[in-house]
Amino acid sequence: MIKNYFKIAWRHLQRNKSYAFINVAGLTLGITCSILIFTLVRYHLSFEDFHPDTNNTYRVVTEIHHDNLSYTSGTPAPLGKALRNDYSFADKIACVRVFGSPLITVNTGKDIHKFVEQEGLALAEPEFFQIFSFPLVKGDRSALANPNTAFITEKLAHKYFPGQDPMGQSLRIGNSMNFTVTGILRDIPVNTDRSQEIYLSYVNLKDFDSSLAGPNRWSGINNNMQTFLLLKKGTSPAAVEKLFPALMDKYYADTRGHNVFRFRLQPLSDIHFNPNYSGAVEKKYIWALALIGLFLIATACMNFVNLATAQALTRSKEVGIRKVLGGMRMQLFWQFIAETALIALFATILAFCLAQQSLPFVNRLLDMRLSIPFIGDTWLVIFLVLLLTSVTFLAGSYPGLILAGFQPVLALKGKLNQQHIGGFSVRRILVTGQFAISQLLIITTIVIAGQIHYSRKTDLGFNKEGIVLLPVPAPDRTKMDHLRNSLSAMTGVEKTSLCFTPPATSDNELDGFSFDNRPKAEPFNINVKNGDDQYVSAFGLTLIAGRNFFRSDSAHEFLVNETLVHKLNLKAPQDIIGKSIAIEQGARGTVVGVLKDFHNNSFKGEISPVCISQDYRSYAVCAVKLNLARAGGLLPAFEKLWNNTYPEYNYTYQFMDDSIADFYQSETVLLTLIEIFAAIAILIGCLGLYGMVSFMAMQKTKEIGVRKVLGAGIPDILWIFGKEFLRLLVLAFLVAAPVGGWFMHRWLQDFVYRIPLNAQVFLMALFSTVVIATLTIGYRTLRSALANPVRSLRSE
Amino acid sequence: MIKISDLQKVYRTEEVETVALNHLSFEVKEGEFVSVMGPSGCGKSTLLNILGLLDDPDGGSFIFNGTEVAHFNERKRADLRKRNIGFVFQSFNLIDELTVFENVELPLIYLGVKGPERKQRVEAVLDKMQIMHRRNHYPQQLSGGQQQRVAVARAVVNNPKLILADEPTGNLDSSNGNEVMQLLTDLNEQGTTIIMVTHSEHDSRYSHRIIRMLDGQTVTENILV
Repeated sequence: MIKNYFKIAWRHLQRNKSYAFINVAGLTLGITCSILIFTLVRYHLSFEDFHPDTNNTYRVVTEIHHDNLSYTSGTPAPLGKALRNDYSFADKIACVRVFGSPLITVNTGKDIHKFVEQEGLALAEPEFFQIFSFPLVKGDRSALANPNTAFITEKLAHKYFPGQDPMGQSLRIGNSMNFTVTGILRDIPVNTDRSQEIYLSYVNLKDFDSSLAGPNRWSGINNNMQTFLLLKKGTSPAAVEKLFPALMDKYYADTRGHNVFRFRLQPLSDIHFNPNYSGAVEKKYIWALALIGLFLIATACMNFVNLATAQALTRSKEVGIRKVLGGMRMQLFWQFIAETALIALFATILAFCLAQQSLPFVNRLLDMRLSIPFIGDTWLVIFLVLLLTSVTFLAGSYPGLILAGFQPVLALKGKLNQQHIGGFSVRRILVTGQFAISQLLIITTIVIAGQIHYSRKTDLGFNKEGIVLLPVPAPDRTKMDHLRNSLSAMTGVEKTSLCFTPPATSDNELDGFSFDNRPKAEPFNINVKNGDDQYVSAFGLTLIAGRNFFRSDSAHEFLVNETLVHKLNLKAPQDIIGKSIAIEQGARGTVVGVLKDFHNNSFKGEISPVCISQDYRSYAVCAVKLNLARAGGLLPAFEKLWNNTYPEYNYTYQFMDDSIADFYQSETVLLTLIEIFAAIAILIGCLGLYGMVSFMAMQKTKEIGVRKVLGAGIPDILWIFGKEFLRLLVLAFLVAAPVGGWFMHRWLQDFVYRIPLNAQVFLMALFSTVVIATLTIGYRTLRSALANPVRSLRSE
Repeated sequence: MIKISDLQKVYRTEEVETVALNHLSFEVKEGEFVSVMGPSGCGKSTLLNILGLLDDPDGGSFIFNGTEVAHFNERKRADLRKRNIGFVFQSFNLIDELTVFENVELPLIYLGVKGPERKQRVEAVLDKMQIMHRRNHYPQQLSGGQQQRVAVARAVVNNPKLILADEPTGNLDSSNGNEVMQLLTDLNEQGTTIIMVTHSEHDSRYSHRIIRMLDGQTVTENILV
């Protein structure tokens, strides 16, 4: 019986190639996207799931209660030791300090090689390797307790010491410290945010960051200074958090931090997703993608149901005969399900191949290392089986029930009509659903694209065009001056400025401060920026009161922004000129000028109170403002000069506008994904629409012939189709607009500075679907309208 | 074999009520060959559909082999149909996607007959109908006469007790028509009961008895033998 089902299904598809193509193509596209989305969702959800006791592993994070609440994944450096000494709730406690991309020098005896590792490096206590599953293939974890020892991964071992035993070899970090390799780690899996491949002894923290390393440095918190706990079995995080007030009393007695900092425990499984603590991706985006995957499957199934139901009339004779010969309703239902399963299976195989082929593109786009293994991935197999079963039943059930329910007498006499296949109403609902999904995705695309465009093009209050950022790798005053002066002398260079960071950066340093003679420290932090006397002019900042500072090596003059003036409750910018500011870290000086507000954060954050001072020891960047008309050939000249200035370091550079674009990297990726998926949803919809209009044209051949004989013109005939689809489009819009509006309104709430959600967005979505639908049905309807009525009536 | 009494069937739309069978009664004995004749709309096809258990009567009794079947549910009707009744239609009603062999095989599949036996029985009946050489052809590759022979082969492959033929020669030329009528006559002589709806006086002469209908009622019965 089953063989008979598949045989007839195969022959039916062969006889109806266009029908088969539309269905297979639609399902293939939908399933391909679903496989890719499943892989992506699974990749993110699998983060940190391989560690020995994920459920009991927590990171201590810090809430900062100023006049507003902010968060940091960091803790004070002494916290780990204090928890270890004072409490017994944890089996393991480990402190980790991550650093960016320092220069790593390897002397193999014959040659000296320099490397910069994008993933950075970490200083970790040995217990770190008991909390996290990063096993050693050589060496012992206790070795990291000794100063100047290092663990590196097998990958780096091969890279740094090809053909040699890496154990006992020396690494020079940042041209200043030597470390001996005492352990080789197995390569780090892709599904972890702890992606560093070099671990150094935590004992050396003072050599890297003296400001944090002191035993009493409870006031300094850095995002990358983190504390991890492996709680004892049965210990709840809430119970641990209840102990923290006593800890605050002990270590923050009579300091500002007592009321400002609150320690919390963040589950390991939350780290990848929590935006408050710089999680890589928000779970809402993961679920949004999963929802889009469901939409795509739904729209492909809708196509299938639509076309199969429309085609049911052409199968009526077969159904009638089978019933006459003793076939029962359920047998016929299962026959159609088997037929659908055959199409779905074919589409799934194609989709799997297509997903594998498109994976390199997806990996490039998302900067990931996703893989879709052909065999051995149980979850993928389960997903594919579930997907195939769901698609088969979602797509096949309704047409199957319709077909199986045909009265044999009517079926054999060809007396079945639209009413017997559910009329137009079911198919109208499905087409409306498809249009609604397309419009929803178009609305989403328009809003995200609009917000990103707004973020990039809106005046940020400083100049970001034509500015190249060169690194300043060491606080060597002579070299800095040489670099700046040499760059300034180049033709095509308008300005140069040495600074800690450009005006807008994701790496902001916040600090407490006291103002003028006020007895208490201010209840909010200040964003401390360091830059030289050219900072204002190089970045095009606007001075609205006072003056720029005079060139100096030390921070005794400050420039501030308008927001700081407002937050200090001063009436006018001039009121702050001449007043003193004492920053907690030690700098103290006089305000000499007020700058017009500029965006120092992405548009997701409000403009912070800013204070700029001169302190050459913190300068990490040399910003070069180019005259774009005369900038040809400058980049190679910069590289040459830089390499001459810092021969022991590796050269890199970045354009300021790229650095700003990086703020919106996740939104840009999201936009690209939604653009792609929207295009696919529209394409699937168009396939179905074309199939539907072809069927309608066939059904209406006689009607069109009669109308033309009675005097109808081509526009009248086109309108028969046009009004049908226009009505469905508008209906779909009434569903998509409020739903899309609600979603996008919520999404925009993430941005402090955002575009308005106006009618234009929705009208554009409606207009674009009208255009797409018109293009899709245009040719087929025109062909029907131009057909000779005599021929159509004769054939009737 | 068949006894219908007071059989009624009414088709209703919102505004019109059409009486297709009006208290119709007659009997058909096992081994009989009966023709049903009458003008279009007299209820012949409705009668055939009810006799073939493809349609329900609105009233009356239909006894098949001693069992009242007038109000059987779909499952029972399908079961009775596939074991006892073969159909031959005017327009052949072969499935275009299946070959001659596969079309004839279909009733046996629904009967649950195993593969090797199916093959044997289909080949035997195709041989008997002299279309064995066309076993792998599709219906559209055959002439009308050949298609109707395939349809007859399909109707008899499960050895039904009753064959219902609806204008079996309606789409055939006289030569092919006579061949088909001869096939039905042969089957009848081998013991199969046949009820045939026809407009053709010529064809009706092959049968033993003619029931003439008008407005859903029997008007005359002619015994030809």
